[in-house]
Amino acid sequence: MMISGLYGNHLDIKTAKTMALAEEIKTRVIEAMAPEVIEVINESHKHAGHAGDNGTGESHFRIIVVSARFENCARLARHRMINEALEPVFKKGLHALSIQAFSPSEYK
Amino acid sequence: MSNDVFEQIKQDISQNDIVLYMKGTASFPQCGFSATVVQILSQIGAPFKDINVLENADIRQGIKDFTNWPTIPQLYIKGEFVGGCDIVRDMFNSGELQDMLAEKGITSPRAA
Repeated sequence: MMISGLYGNHLDIKTAKTMALAEEIKTRVIEAMAPEVIEVINESHKHAGHAGDNGTGESHFRIIVVSARFENCARLARHRMINEALEPVFKKGLHALSIQAFSPSEYK
Repeated sequence: MSNDVFEQIKQDISQNDIVLYMKGTASFPQCGFSATVVQILSQIGAPFKDINVLENADIRQGIKDFTNWPTIPQLYIKGEFVGGCDIVRDMFNSGELQDMLAEKGITSPRAA
């Protein structure tokens, strides 16, 4: 399955296996948040060889999520919603996750 | 997670106005996200206690369990969890962090 914006220009070095974590992040956020916009950006290459690089090429991600469920929620609560949805992915080796969470009205 | 670790965390966050659980130290951060928070606090001129989780595996896992937050850094102000790098940066950019620190009497109010 091809998802635009998933890997930026680093798609070429990714194998089917290493697509797994990014796919799972996306799937779980969609299930939990019913987002209008979801972008999963793998930034692991920026941290290659640094602390937390586990060699899988899927350790550091940035996500942009736009969901009506964030309406009237403080930042901390929004991040907790995402973290909770992604708990199984953290257990699988997700090391760092940068979150940009917007309600639809904030995103416009 | 043993009670000892939670007790240690409770003691640290109650005895210090600002505590940053981070990778590395304030003078030598070993992670870009930790470094960002150090830079922000330094720029505000807010003194803080840095706790290097890389030096203590119990604290490293313990603080994640205590806060119920999966990543490091973690910033505590007056015993209250404020957030990780993204939240701290957003709050700094909007001025909320500076206002919060001034309201709590940790830093001087900003010049209007």
